[in-house]
Amino acid sequence: MQDISPATLLVLVPLLPLVGAIVTVAFGRLLGSRAHLPAVISIAAALGCAVVLLAGTARLVGDGHGGPARPVEMITTLWQWATVEGSQPFSIPVALRLDPLTATMLTIITSVGLLVAIYSIGYMHDDPGYPRFFALVATFVFSMAMLVAASNFLLVYVFWEAVGACSYLLIGFWFRKPEAAKAAKKAFLVNRVGDFGLAVATFLLWMTYGTLNFHDTLSADGVIMPGILGQTRLADAAGYVGGIVGTAICLLLLLAACGKSAQLPLHVWLPDAMEGPTPASSLIHAATMVTAGIYLIARSCPLFMACPDALTTVSIVGATTALVAGLIGTVQNDLKRVLAYSTISQLGYMFASLGTGTLLGFTAAIFHLLTHAFFKALLFMGAGSVMHSMGGVIDMRRFGGLRRVMPITAATFLVGGLALAGVAPFAGFFSKDEILASLHSRGWPDAHHEDHHAAAQKGYATHFHLAASSPENAAVQGENEPRPLSRIDSPATFRTLFWMSLFTAGLTAFYTFRAVFMTFTGPTRVPEEAGHHAHESPPVMTAPLIILAIASAVSGWLLFSTHALANFLAATPSFTAPAVVATAVKPAFHWDLALQGTLAAAIGIALAAYGHLGRRSDGPQMERFLGPLQTLFARKFFLDEIYTALVVRPLEAVAFIFALFDRRVIDGLVDLVAGIPFAVAAVVRQFQSGLLQRYALAGVVGVLAIVVALAWQLRG
Amino acid sequence: MNGLSPANHLLLVILMPLVGAVVAWLMGSRGQQAVRQSAAFTAVATLVAAGWLVIRFLTRPAGLSALEPFAVIEVPWLVEGMFDIRLSLGLDGLSIWLFGLSALLSLTAVLVSWDAIKEKPVGFYGLLLLLEAAMLGVFAARDIILFYVFFEFTLVPLFFLIGIWGHDERRKAAVKFFVYTLAGSVLSFLGLLAIVLWHASQTGTITFDIAGLTAGLQAHPLPMTAAGGWLQWLVFLALFAGFAVKVPIVPFHTWLPLAHVEAPTGGSVDLAGVLLKIGIYGFLRFSLPMLPEASAAAAPWLVGLGVFGILYGALVALVQTDLKRLIAYSSVSHMGYIVLGLFALEPLALEGANLQLINHGLSSAGLFALVGMIYERFHTRSIANLGGIAAKAPWLTVLFMLFTFSSIGLPGLNGFVGEFMILAGSFQRAWAGVAESFFQPYLFMAVSAVVGVVLGAWYMLWAVERVFFGPSREPPRSHSTDGHGSHAHHHGAHDDVDRCDLRWHEAAALLPLAVFVVWIGIMPQAFLSPAAPAIEQSARAAREAFADRMNLPPQDHAAGSSIAATASSLPYSPSSP
Repeated sequence: MQDISPATLLVLVPLLPLVGAIVTVAFGRLLGSRAHLPAVISIAAALGCAVVLLAGTARLVGDGHGGPARPVEMITTLWQWATVEGSQPFSIPVALRLDPLTATMLTIITSVGLLVAIYSIGYMHDDPGYPRFFALVATFVFSMAMLVAASNFLLVYVFWEAVGACSYLLIGFWFRKPEAAKAAKKAFLVNRVGDFGLAVATFLLWMTYGTLNFHDTLSADGVIMPGILGQTRLADAAGYVGGIVGTAICLLLLLAACGKSAQLPLHVWLPDAMEGPTPASSLIHAATMVTAGIYLIARSCPLFMACPDALTTVSIVGATTALVAGLIGTVQNDLKRVLAYSTISQLGYMFASLGTGTLLGFTAAIFHLLTHAFFKALLFMGAGSVMHSMGGVIDMRRFGGLRRVMPITAATFLVGGLALAGVAPFAGFFSKDEILASLHSRGWPDAHHEDHHAAAQKGYATHFHLAASSPENAAVQGENEPRPLSRIDSPATFRTLFWMSLFTAGLTAFYTFRAVFMTFTGPTRVPEEAGHHAHESPPVMTAPLIILAIASAVSGWLLFSTHALANFLAATPSFTAPAVVATAVKPAFHWDLALQGTLAAAIGIALAAYGHLGRRSDGPQMERFLGPLQTLFARKFFLDEIYTALVVRPLEAVAFIFALFDRRVIDGLVDLVAGIPFAVAAVVRQFQSGLLQRYALAGVVGVLAIVVALAWQLRG
Repeated sequence: MNGLSPANHLLLVILMPLVGAVVAWLMGSRGQQAVRQSAAFTAVATLVAAGWLVIRFLTRPAGLSALEPFAVIEVPWLVEGMFDIRLSLGLDGLSIWLFGLSALLSLTAVLVSWDAIKEKPVGFYGLLLLLEAAMLGVFAARDIILFYVFFEFTLVPLFFLIGIWGHDERRKAAVKFFVYTLAGSVLSFLGLLAIVLWHASQTGTITFDIAGLTAGLQAHPLPMTAAGGWLQWLVFLALFAGFAVKVPIVPFHTWLPLAHVEAPTGGSVDLAGVLLKIGIYGFLRFSLPMLPEASAAAAPWLVGLGVFGILYGALVALVQTDLKRLIAYSSVSHMGYIVLGLFALEPLALEGANLQLINHGLSSAGLFALVGMIYERFHTRSIANLGGIAAKAPWLTVLFMLFTFSSIGLPGLNGFVGEFMILAGSFQRAWAGVAESFFQPYLFMAVSAVVGVVLGAWYMLWAVERVFFGPSREPPRSHSTDGHGSHAHHHGAHDDVDRCDLRWHEAAALLPLAVFVVWIGIMPQAFLSPAAPAIEQSARAAREAFADRMNLPPQDHAAGSSIAATASSLPYSPSSP
């Protein structure tokens, strides 16, 4: 691999899966039961390339002990997509980028993608759409890799929609099921609402910054054209607009992120998306595509840093979504839906972390993204394994004691559950701890003084408050408005969000272990659909489970104890903006927060154990304590009904009225105008009857008409 | 064939369908098979010749100016004294893609009629080829007389195609289509005559040459004041009457759904793919360059009508029960985008609008062709009676999805490029190109246009869900007396569905369109640059007039320039692995 340039490798990561997809489409019939080969091989090769890139980038970043991180990025431009001369030139290159954030994302996407593809060999086996499934998975890996490697907002928009289209086709994979077709359409449309935000944000960005590129470009005459997230602008303290325009851009980006990452108020599509094949849910609706929103906000964090209100809104949306989805998750009986709401909830955590606007918050969000990708993919595949051997049944009330039937699935599911619940030392514990720490640092800024002092002495950053008073940082935040812009960007907000997140941590542990206990413990109960041969899934399905279980067990501790990920990500150009660097803190383990988090998880697990451990899963369980709240949660806060009543029905009514108007009024007028010559002819023909009395009558009527008309005139 | 001059080549391309029509007529005695084969042969030959001409245009010697017309044929007719009347054909950046599209879609129209047309095939294919010649001619015309002759000549074949080979209400639809369009185009002709006469009164030469008239009118603009009788306004409105009906701009659109629903598939393909574009082409060729002040004054209103059309067409499409009518209304919505892009008057939006002409031509033609194929198989277009086609005809479904995605502007396909450029251009206009008082409405309109993108996905995906997905539904077969109903007429077990996927001629009709749908989406630059100089030339006067009207400093954008200034003073330290 020595003589292959990084640029080539970067192109290969998305290109290989695309080739795999095309080969699958072309030769799928021919390959028959081996139709998975092109996809699996190409994604494996892409993973190889991504790992080499990750290692190469890591070498460039260094160990991170030499003071503030230097930005590391590489751009490769493939071809000019469109150029239009004009007063404001519109020039869009197809340019890919490599930096720590992209390298991390590429590795996550290709590794989970590969495991899902391998798992699907077993899961999708015998499905008539076998080749189609692998073609779609490979296309998705291509699109997702392009999304995180694209280096301008237009390309991001392109692949933002492309992954949405893959998701649409995979949700509707079993298109004969009306629910699947409906869920696919719903997912696409709700995402389109988010895409609306991204499109308008893109237009506003272009008008504001004169380009859509992330990176700086050199024009023909050697002038640097600063990109939106290029190093020139990042170094410029006044490079980003705040105020109404800046906030509008950020809120529109947030809308887009809410669509793709299923946050309130656009989260409604994700639970329905569970109609798709479980491996697709695992890859797209848990591990990768739904994290695109987190990626987008992390990538454009310098824009958000100039708009504290928008940033705080990100946190509020995230923490609220985490709480609401967690509450709904506690009463779901469909195993996949529990996991779907859990995904929404965990994505909410990441948003809450991003919204703190601190370097810790950004890296913690990506850290949680990574660990979540592993353990949630694991949980989904575990659920798929259960579904596979239970004859397609996924209602937990019909399961019991499955640990005896499928021990490997049960053990790996338990590991995933522990990681999700945030139990030390599993992965989720460490990433969740960092998220809580970032929220805590904004809620109680004084408590974190120590960290800042230490960091300042090590050359990491200046002090939080010093930073605000130094001239160039004052320019970052100031010029348009001083830092404490409004009431929402205050410690009190973040204190509330912190407590909400802590409560959600308890909820998470509760619903996770409720699912674990209902499915795997208690008296053995197997639904009759499974037949008499309910058994553990084949090795091709359990091997990915085991690999992911190991990753879920150790990745958190590994990455946290060495601070490898945080140091690595800090060299991402977007995170080297002065406003972000100023918030850097010394990496630390917060014993107090870890204790609080663990306590919350312990309470949740204990409650779940009290309600469900060792009992039959079909009786009334914890719900009886919830009273009317149970209905509220089970009906998902009635959001689907509210949207139908407030958006869908009114629009349909307007459409109906327009259609009626079109036929009756507009077309009616046209026919009327067209009819005038005929009508005149007909009338004239009538009058030429030759009957004298008719003529006389006409004369009288005419005179009368004139008199009436005159009277009318005189009246006014 | 190197000896073939471009001019003769162009003449050859326009004459080929006419010869083909005669050949088809001669084949009449040998039956349907011979007629359709000869028509297909003519369409293929014309497409090859036209495609080759387009390639010659794209690779013409670099020494020529980008604006130089290509393949010019001039026949002096009356060049004496004050008369300078010549019949003249030629191609330029404005017409080249539409010219190629006409040849491409004519082949599609022939191939989709393969099995659908059983009665009087001679007349059908003859008229289809006549229509092709007229479409090619209208884009190649360089003088007003020829333009108008070809323009009217597109109407006559389509009138008969709808009226004779159409569906149940074909008479009504044909008459409405004909009378409505004719009424508009007569007004347009009066407008064009007024232009000629004004030019003659100012310069002393009577000419019908479009380039000459454009130059003359820019030197001696028609009066825009009360003293001059608002002449430019009147002429603009006269031209508008014809072009707006043709586009169609809401509220002059009601002939379109009816004509589409009743037309045979081949007619729909040509109608949606090419004929609607003539209206926009007319605005670009005549209204913007010849009547810049009136165009500028009308621009805000037309932008408004365009945006209204986007939302109106989309909402009406949402409640349609007939698949073909739904796609017809989607055309209304999509043409709204093009009108918006045209009258935003920004280079970006204009180029997007021009590209969108081609894009819509490809995707709507593809969708209409596919609806025709569905009708041939199931004898219904009612969305409620269709369902689960994906299981019966997977490749048909794949292509329908492709054109649907193109139509709803999915990135990576062609529709996105045009739509995005139009919308970005509209934002540009709203941002920096309008006086303060207009800023709010313009921004509102630009945002509303983006809402149309959501609605567009709604109605199309709703239709796809109902028609292609879900359980397989057997539509009621009321008139299965003709050949097709019988072979799939058993109602028994539906699980092993009868496959009824694309046949070879259907695939051949659609694949070229699909190739361009993907190609334009991935590499739009190749399709933008040949047209760019010509578009800029035809729109510049109107843009400047607009800037004057709005008291704007022309060609200045505060945001971009100030940032560039700060950036050049900053240190730059590239670091890359």
